[in-house]
Amino acid sequence: MIHKFSVRSAGVAEPDIRELGRSWELDDLEVWRDYYVEFEGDPEPAALTGVAAVLGDQLDVEVTVNQPLAQGDVQVAYKRGVVDNESDSIITVCGLLGVEARAGKVATTYRSSSPRLRDLVASTRFNATIEELHDEEPHYDTLVPQGHYEPTVHYDLRGLDDEALAELGVAGGRNLSLAQMKHVRHIQETLGDEYVTEVLLEALDARWSDHCAHTTWKSLGGLLGRLINAAKDVANPNVLSMFHDNAGVWDFYDGHAIAIKAETHNGPSAISGYFGQLTKLGGVLRDILGTGLSADPIGSFEYTAIGEPEALAPIKGRPDARRLAGETIRAIKEYGNTFGVPMMSSRMTFHPSYRAKPFALGGSIGLLPVSAAQRGTPRPGDFVVLIGGLTGNEGIHGASASSAGATMDTTAVQIGAPLEQVKFRKALIELREEGCMSALTDVGGAGLNSAVGEIGEACGVWINTALVPLKTAALPMWRILLSESQERMLLAVPPEHQERAKKILDRHMVRSTVIGRFADTGRYHVFHAPDLTEEALIASAPDAVPAHQGETGFDVSYELLDIEVERQEVGPPPRPSGPPPAWPSLEPAELTGLLEQVVSDAEVASQHYADSQYDSTVQGNTWYGPHHGTEHPVRTAYWAGTPVAGSPAAAVLNTAFNPWMFDADPVAATRQMFCSLLAGQVLAGVEVHDVCMCDNFYTPHLSENWREWLVGMVDELAVLVRHFGVPLISGKDSSAGSVHTDEGLVSVPPAVFLTALGKVPHRDGLLREQWTAPGNALVRIGLSTSSPVGTVAGRKLGLTDGALDDLALSDVDTYLAALAASRNLLRSGARIGAGGVAAALAQGVLASGTGVRLESATAESLFAEHRVGAVVEVAQDDVDRLPAELNPVVLGVLAPGSGILLDGTDLFTPAARDGWLNSFTARIA
Amino acid sequence: MKPTVNVLYLPGTNCQEETISAFAAVGATPRLRFAADLLAGDERLDDADILCIPGGFSFGDHLGAGAVAGALLRSHLADQFEACRTRPLIGICNGFQIAVRGGCFGKVGLKVNSSGTFRNEENQRHVVDEENDSPWLTGLGGQTLVFPCAHGEGRFHPDSTASVAEYRVALRYEKDSNPDGSFENIAGITSLDGLSFGLMDHPERAVDPEVRLAFFENGVRAVR
Repeated sequence: MIHKFSVRSAGVAEPDIRELGRSWELDDLEVWRDYYVEFEGDPEPAALTGVAAVLGDQLDVEVTVNQPLAQGDVQVAYKRGVVDNESDSIITVCGLLGVEARAGKVATTYRSSSPRLRDLVASTRFNATIEELHDEEPHYDTLVPQGHYEPTVHYDLRGLDDEALAELGVAGGRNLSLAQMKHVRHIQETLGDEYVTEVLLEALDARWSDHCAHTTWKSLGGLLGRLINAAKDVANPNVLSMFHDNAGVWDFYDGHAIAIKAETHNGPSAISGYFGQLTKLGGVLRDILGTGLSADPIGSFEYTAIGEPEALAPIKGRPDARRLAGETIRAIKEYGNTFGVPMMSSRMTFHPSYRAKPFALGGSIGLLPVSAAQRGTPRPGDFVVLIGGLTGNEGIHGASASSAGATMDTTAVQIGAPLEQVKFRKALIELREEGCMSALTDVGGAGLNSAVGEIGEACGVWINTALVPLKTAALPMWRILLSESQERMLLAVPPEHQERAKKILDRHMVRSTVIGRFADTGRYHVFHAPDLTEEALIASAPDAVPAHQGETGFDVSYELLDIEVERQEVGPPPRPSGPPPAWPSLEPAELTGLLEQVVSDAEVASQHYADSQYDSTVQGNTWYGPHHGTEHPVRTAYWAGTPVAGSPAAAVLNTAFNPWMFDADPVAATRQMFCSLLAGQVLAGVEVHDVCMCDNFYTPHLSENWREWLVGMVDELAVLVRHFGVPLISGKDSSAGSVHTDEGLVSVPPAVFLTALGKVPHRDGLLREQWTAPGNALVRIGLSTSSPVGTVAGRKLGLTDGALDDLALSDVDTYLAALAASRNLLRSGARIGAGGVAAALAQGVLASGTGVRLESATAESLFAEHRVGAVVEVAQDDVDRLPAELNPVVLGVLAPGSGILLDGTDLFTPAARDGWLNSFTARIA
Repeated sequence: MKPTVNVLYLPGTNCQEETISAFAAVGATPRLRFAADLLAGDERLDDADILCIPGGFSFGDHLGAGAVAGALLRSHLADQFEACRTRPLIGICNGFQIAVRGGCFGKVGLKVNSSGTFRNEENQRHVVDEENDSPWLTGLGGQTLVFPCAHGEGRFHPDSTASVAEYRVALRYEKDSNPDGSFENIAGITSLDGLSFGLMDHPERAVDPEVRLAFFENGVRAVR
């Protein structure tokens, strides 16, 4: 029996609803939540009253029961296949009240007398991919998603010609190439089987996808190997694990290590900004949890590039950039805050090339003991234990579709449920500390198939998909295997620890199920046997493979699952040549106007509207960042935290990415980003050999010369790693940045997002950005990269074509050495980034409330972005002590007041301040 | 014998470690009390000198912040929770929301922030009430303490129809820095007897170690 409970404010509308009413210009807007609860049987009226009392347990809230929608009401609810995250809590509450419930569902209802209401809801609050819009009361037979088992389909590939093979390879949303299908046929012939199953085709489609197998990178000549070899050559002793596990692991201090990882969810975020961004953060946190024998996340970071907020979506039915921005903020807030990990850095960029498919990057770092830093190895006989959320019919073909890029429209997004992950987070640490796991991994892209397949490769593995707990009554075997339901982990638990592990997981209220066993077979074996129970499996001998296996999906030796990738030769990328364009000569009034434009640009402007919604202090270990400033919160150039209890040792993190520079010259941009990060770390106080990096490539796959640029960027990174001894220890590649849209092909620029992780033994030595005292000199130091191309001001002035500056690595060495040697002279220092010196000055003024009196100013001196440089504060007496290798240029002196004064004129007008403070919000809110 | 502190650990609690660290730093023996163990009767909520309900998103904040946890405290654990209220009790952020729903402060509410969303302020300023003689506030009256704010549903709202308030003001946001729109800038309250203390912001995260420990030191001193 299903009953409906409508929960709404009894008096004045809540602020978020009033704000929505204002933005929609609907004075009479009402919004409330409808909870549908499916009870076991027909509950007594008193039970319904009890449930209503809990739902309405707040001042000025009223609850009505079983009141249908009125005419004109508009209700948005998830489709039945999407299990609402609150369902479990509804069932829990009912259980506490002594009434049994099977499922719950939450809907949002809007009411207004305006005839515009339906269109407003449909265009801004409704996602047809996953939601339903109701004009009248929906009638549900059940709230439980429906599903059923289907016997697997068999295919005999032996007699098929190339055309038939190719057709079968892409049937049903698969993305298997003819060469891959021929290899499947080879498997069938080698096994001597009469047929292969649909389960095997689906499993191999995922296993050989670009997402899982990195086929693009392999086809271009082992690109990952080039980065690994470079790191091996420099043999930095801090490297504990690189490109071998779910995250790279960097040595910290006193027996502790830090894992780092970033990944992207670009495809899903184009469909649903909310769920795509929710799962990007959830996914990368799970990567950290699944590193070594489990690391505990201590910080997260995120970056999102979308189209211009004012533009329409280039594909009809897709959310536009403005909506993606709002959904991104909501998702990052909900996942990160709920999970309890401090936000270290967040940023949103508006760039037209990301209008079809955003760049949705999420990253995290985590703490673990050095003794647990290496990836575990399952032993034959260990149980395969699945923990966390239920498995549903979600995100099927997500891995292969995110590889196919242009054909992903048919896929559904994954649904994130942060509570599940919070629950198993500390359980995993307890399991690690008690030695209950021999290995673990996260269940992410390509679902169980990828997780089981990868972790089982060490010895062999079998699983019974009938044991996997489902959101639905049943599902076909291949869907269980491929489901990308989130918040699941896979553990290898030795039999002698199974009972203890179960107890720990139960205590944390984490669902866990033994679904199979690791075996000394060298084979990956999947079957579906409903009559093989978990109890029987646990009771069986460690080396026993069940005699009755129901229906077999596949049973194949691992060596047959490997496939060669055809190599493609590429030449050098077409680098731009000739001198960069010159900066114009501008009068002071023109400088003032340009400053206003630059500080109002989203690359410079305050994004406080977004990042004030992200918890940056949870865990109590944040030492510096992500904001500073006594007057206004200004984004810091780096974040530092002290994750080890009682220790002053700090981890230091900074990031670099500028898509306009990658538009101009991806290889030169790669060099500048890398050197900029390194210079930022040294400025903060980190030694060069204590820095590692993480790379996230996002490249197009249908634009001209994309292969050449990709190879060029990788080779450039290898050069930089070898030169500085700073290894890349983790990363991810997404090579599906081209999308066919209603406007034609849209491609992202070939680009790599870099994140640097450093460490210092004591936090007190870290240099801060806040100006300390009027009278001190402000000095620009560092290398000159004065090309206007790729700069914020260059965009405003139309100087977008041409070359970027070359950086001589020997000059960078000289600068970094001088910087490290003279840090004791610096009172404060800010890395120069977007907006150049002018942005650094403006943000210094806004943060400190102190002004600056400039000696001189030109367009170039103010707006060139000298990315391997900084604006530092030095006592007047110390200016002459700055070594020449820093290339010091005195900009001016800190002065009372809060302006940027040039010959008595304040360049930093009230309009510019207002632009910095409010322009971002005005564009997206 | 060190004073003992039971720290309630619910599915979704996420501030337990910094809270435990703060209590341990002032000489107490904090220990987690898992909801599963409490429901199974394997452990008790009321067998310590102090009860702490730390921050987080218990049960995902589903059905309203603290709603499911509040229902738990009012149903299966009602007797034990009542016993805890006769001793020092502190609820921080989500713990405050749970304590409110558990009935510690009479008819008051913590509603969606006036901004309509979560607010993160790294250096929120709070002024300790000079009149409140709660043991949690001993020696702090009139001081301004800086510690982080991070919540989405912290707009303090008393029942305007109640004839007598069942709470006392403990903290107020400094003038013109109210992050959530709370009534009369109220940032924290105590029960009338001063034993139960609830606040939305997070002293356990403060950078300044003295501020970080001030309330916890007072609470522990009260039961020594």
